[in-house]
Amino acid sequence: MDTLKVRDARDVEEVVRAAIASDQPLEIIGHGTKRAIGHPMATNAVLDLSALNAVSAYEPNELIITVQAGAPLADVQSLIDSKNQQFAFEPTDTSALLGVSGSGTIGGMIGAGLAGPRRIKAGGARDHLLGAHAVSGFGDSFKTGGRVVKNVTGYDLCKLLAGSWGTLAVMAEVTLKVMPKPESERTLMLSGLDDVTANRAMTSALGSPYDVSGAAHLPNSAFRPATGALAGFAAQGRAATLLRLEGIAASVADRANSLAKTLAPFGSVDMLQDGASAEVWSTIRDVEPFAAGGALGAWPVWRIVCPPASGGALGQALARDSGGDVIYDWGGGLIWAALPPKPDALAALVRQRVEAAGGHAALIRASERTRRDVDVFHPQAGGVAALSQRVRHSFDPKIILNRGRMLLMTAT
Amino acid sequence: MVIMMPAADQAVLSRRDAIVAALRAIVPGEGVIDSAAEMLPYESDGLMAYRQPPMVVVLPDTTEQVSKVLKYCFEQGIKVVPRGSGTSLSGGALPLADGVLLGLGKFKRIREIDFDNRVVVTEPGVTNLAISQAVAHAGFYYAPDPSSQIACSIGGNVAENSGGVHCLKYGMTTNNVLGCEIVLMSGEILRIGGKAAENSGYDLMGIITGSEGLLGVITEITVRILQKPETARALMVGFAEVEAAGECVARIIGNGIIPGGMEMMDKPAIHAAEAFVHAGYPLDVEALLIIELDGPGVEVDELIKRVEAIAQACGSTSCQISTSEAERNLFWAGRKAAFPAVGRISPDYLCMDGTIPRGALPKALARIRDLSAKYDLRVANVFHAGDGNLHPLILYDANQPGEIERAEAFGADILRACVEFGGVLTGEHGVGIEKRDLMPEMFSEIDLNQQQRLKCAFDAQGLLNPGKVFPTLHRCAELGRMHVHGGRLAFPDLPRF
Repeated sequence: MDTLKVRDARDVEEVVRAAIASDQPLEIIGHGTKRAIGHPMATNAVLDLSALNAVSAYEPNELIITVQAGAPLADVQSLIDSKNQQFAFEPTDTSALLGVSGSGTIGGMIGAGLAGPRRIKAGGARDHLLGAHAVSGFGDSFKTGGRVVKNVTGYDLCKLLAGSWGTLAVMAEVTLKVMPKPESERTLMLSGLDDVTANRAMTSALGSPYDVSGAAHLPNSAFRPATGALAGFAAQGRAATLLRLEGIAASVADRANSLAKTLAPFGSVDMLQDGASAEVWSTIRDVEPFAAGGALGAWPVWRIVCPPASGGALGQALARDSGGDVIYDWGGGLIWAALPPKPDALAALVRQRVEAAGGHAALIRASERTRRDVDVFHPQAGGVAALSQRVRHSFDPKIILNRGRMLLMTAT
Repeated sequence: MVIMMPAADQAVLSRRDAIVAALRAIVPGEGVIDSAAEMLPYESDGLMAYRQPPMVVVLPDTTEQVSKVLKYCFEQGIKVVPRGSGTSLSGGALPLADGVLLGLGKFKRIREIDFDNRVVVTEPGVTNLAISQAVAHAGFYYAPDPSSQIACSIGGNVAENSGGVHCLKYGMTTNNVLGCEIVLMSGEILRIGGKAAENSGYDLMGIITGSEGLLGVITEITVRILQKPETARALMVGFAEVEAAGECVARIIGNGIIPGGMEMMDKPAIHAAEAFVHAGYPLDVEALLIIELDGPGVEVDELIKRVEAIAQACGSTSCQISTSEAERNLFWAGRKAAFPAVGRISPDYLCMDGTIPRGALPKALARIRDLSAKYDLRVANVFHAGDGNLHPLILYDANQPGEIERAEAFGADILRACVEFGGVLTGEHGVGIEKRDLMPEMFSEIDLNQQQRLKCAFDAQGLLNPGKVFPTLHRCAELGRMHVHGGRLAFPDLPRF
């Protein structure tokens, strides 16, 4: 299979046009760290964006950065970190989960659109993508959005590009919002709660005025290996419910006291300070308890998004009935579920439960064979599925980009 | 005026009686309005320089009726213009002579308040403020706060992706909506998203938000609600030079402080507002910043100190800090009344809405001053300074021949300057008809074609709100055509692996 390493946006256009002309579908990659997510693709050439790696403009005072899609995420993160800024949506690094090295590129981060714990406060990848230059499946270079946050000029195509897994257009350059890093953080921890009670505690914290920026629950699990920052909790053998506060030190301390009082009905509260707190949240963000190299490394992993207050009951039943393990983030609104290996990854069970709770589930880690047979992304209702297909065709009528990855569909 | 709408379809107009009768069969009673006198209130929206009576007004009160009306119009090839409260400042709800005006004003019910999931499920005709009021007893509110929030509907907010003073910190409508029920032009009813943080598949909610009524008619919306910050305090800071005020804004943000709101007014705006509401604004300054910090008391107190120090370092000439809610509200009173205040000193005004990078504020103000001299029209400037969103108010008198044309040309030049400085044509008011013909200043034909292809995915016949947003209408078949270039997969000079 050909790998075509493009050097500039013009190359991208050329490659896509040639691919259209010869009906040779392209797989679009940056560093290829998320290639194992989605259905196996029906592509016969690879468009490699990793050489489009320049930072075009970083303007800390404007809170924006413009970078080419192939720029390494780690490099960009350390650049903005040098100005004490960050991507506020805390992009999930899937490398541990998938057992690959490197955290990928900016293009991959946007295409996957996976946001971490702070999504409940700061929004997702889609909320931080301000503008893009991309090449559609028509082979046309187009731009959308701009370089300012407040912009309603024309349709907001950025929203579609985020989380589209490279199936609508090949991004060449993007402008992202960056935000100041909080001066300090503190995590309040409740111990020993069952999932439903923990869900109630998180709901109570998120319904308080204390500006909680992370709300996660790690159930007491027989399976979870003692990894990283969670080793201490596992040793205690007790479930941990974690609530993060961020901001200026005086404010964090003040809110921590208030929140501890709010949480009093759920038990006594332990505090994790800055470094320890940060470590715990990166473990949750990157789903490290289900790491490919860990005890559950061979188990399929589902990413379930649901109304937050229904998460506890949903996850608890799912874990019980499947014999699997779950981690809750977003106050219960995001459940990572590792289920015992079955050829169908227990898709029917997962989807039936998740739909009943008003959510949806994507199979983020599974064998290639499973990903061939099971809907990786949540099947949509007829009308919405048809509309999504028309949207796809409006960008890529010949399904030349990442064919087969997201929706099982064929060319027009 | 200057902007032309698509020519009316005489064949449709000649069938008007039959169309009215068919609509009456769908929406009974007073829900169909066809007399010229009763249609008068629907002739224009907030962009009042433009007026056009619709062919007929329909006010359905159920999703099923909306669906049937759209299906009928779809089958009959009749254009439809959706309308919420009619407060659009860009003409997004301007009727068409041969179109049905579909008003959502009867969708006035909040369907569900769910504090545990921190969402409100509401019908689109509910006002923005009513949502906040409905959840205020539990300490919650809906964050986006366009200045028309008493009147504007949440459906219109979604259509326009409305902003407001507080969107600097809390985001615009698009960052605060989770799901909707939408009726496509074909009459098909779809549910997108819900109470979960994200919808599955493509982010259709994201594309519907801000689509200015061109993609579908929204009949239900799920919005996020937040806990009200514990306290809010404001600083009112005067500067002898606009540049210093601009520098102050940049430094506050540069220091990692994101205020709840950060507004700027120039001298003419300050004077007009002070004469109107007597808020105690300093009259000897060239620029006034109102900066609001919100959050826990200790945090607000600390940030007030930091902002005050930054302002002093930038050469502020006056600085007042609110010590009570009454005082904070007084600081805001002038800013919130800026538009009507300017309305008192001029028979008419045009409100512009470009966004620029914050750093370009002084440059943009200088340009606006030059243009004011060139067009011989006064201008008062109010800005959402924190996010670079400018609202120059161009003062004119419609009774003076040629003045509105001059005012529009002045406004267009301001928006061109915004694009030139790295910004955009509209920050929160929408393109509508007002900025439609300026779209090529920002987008190439290819860019616009891609947007219109998306429109085709929702409305292949182009019947929903045509003539808005896009300067040129294309047929979907034409847009969908592939122009294949080359013909071989051969890249002789590309590295291969």
